[in-house]
Amino acid sequence: MRGKGLITAVIILTFAALMTYAVVSLQVFSEGTGVRPLGEFYLENSYFGDYSAKSPEVVTSILWDYRGIDTLFETAVFFLAIIGSLTIFRLTKEQEKEVKKVESAPTELTPIVKDVTKVIVAMILAVSASIALHGHLTPGGGFQGGSALAVAPLLIIAAYSKYALEKNGLDKTRALILRSIGLLGIALVALVPLLSGGFVMQNQPIFPAEIGGQLIGGSLIYYNFFEFLAVGAGFTAVFLLLSIPEEKFKKILEVKK
Amino acid sequence: MSVLFYIGALLIVIGGICDLFGALGLLKFPNFYVRLHAATVGTIGGAVVPLFGVALLALGADFLPHRYAIAGASFITGIIVLLAAPAGAHALAYAAHKAKLVEWKPKVDHLKEVRE
Repeated sequence: MRGKGLITAVIILTFAALMTYAVVSLQVFSEGTGVRPLGEFYLENSYFGDYSAKSPEVVTSILWDYRGIDTLFETAVFFLAIIGSLTIFRLTKEQEKEVKKVESAPTELTPIVKDVTKVIVAMILAVSASIALHGHLTPGGGFQGGSALAVAPLLIIAAYSKYALEKNGLDKTRALILRSIGLLGIALVALVPLLSGGFVMQNQPIFPAEIGGQLIGGSLIYYNFFEFLAVGAGFTAVFLLLSIPEEKFKKILEVKK
Repeated sequence: MSVLFYIGALLIVIGGICDLFGALGLLKFPNFYVRLHAATVGTIGGAVVPLFGVALLALGADFLPHRYAIAGASFITGIIVLLAAPAGAHALAYAAHKAKLVEWKPKVDHLKEVRE
């Protein structure tokens, strides 16, 4: 037992020493000064050129600009995954009502957890909106912001209950409507350039790069906002579905038999 | 570089030490509750304190681009962890006490009535 721990310690320390040596002496991470040709190409096509996205965040501008169709299908894959899971657990209108009914008082966590959840949910909403809407300036974007947004309903389900969320108006149908609005928004923004003689998902010079002196990166902010909505609401719908008690599901299935 | 830079750097070093103590405690302490204490030392001392340290360090570093954005982001993250970590530890301890999963010999048990 003691020998095993010693071997692990020796391996970890050797690895740490080698990594330190590689970083400090061999300088594996420093690339010298100046921009390489590939980096120059990306900068030219994301920030400086006439047909770029005019956004300093190169990754986002590549994702939603000249690699845009690929991202569109990526979103479609996510959309299909959610549609698939909703189809597996498909319920009729009466069953939907049955699932929403509170039978016994749901067990909630202690007041300490509930109060902290209230504060943190508000902060998560603000942080996720900031991640999504600053997607053209800082690392992050619609998908990352939407995933952070989906943590808020998940925390409420854990600390309170699924019924608390539904009582306050956020049920599965509403989440699905929100998600559809997001997807529709992405499709419409993608098609807007066709009206002014551009091609699908073109960014510059069709969309304004700045509004009121604020850099918005052309179409990037719209894509990020709608993706934020679609991903956040899609995850929320799946979480609401998964938090239905198994007993209720089994009861509904038996009734149908 | 102002004095804020050095205060921030000091806080980051303190965070590293807290992380080390938290890891040691998690390995060596006898039962769940005391280990939970060590884990909280790791999250509050090892995550919140260095995050505030990064915020101060960024504010004090004149050479850093976008230093206000870095400071704001790490400060907000620090506040969120500062709120979430104690609540999480509380929920864990409460659940373990209620489920009677942990064997222990307490001197005082103020939560006895919850257990019945």
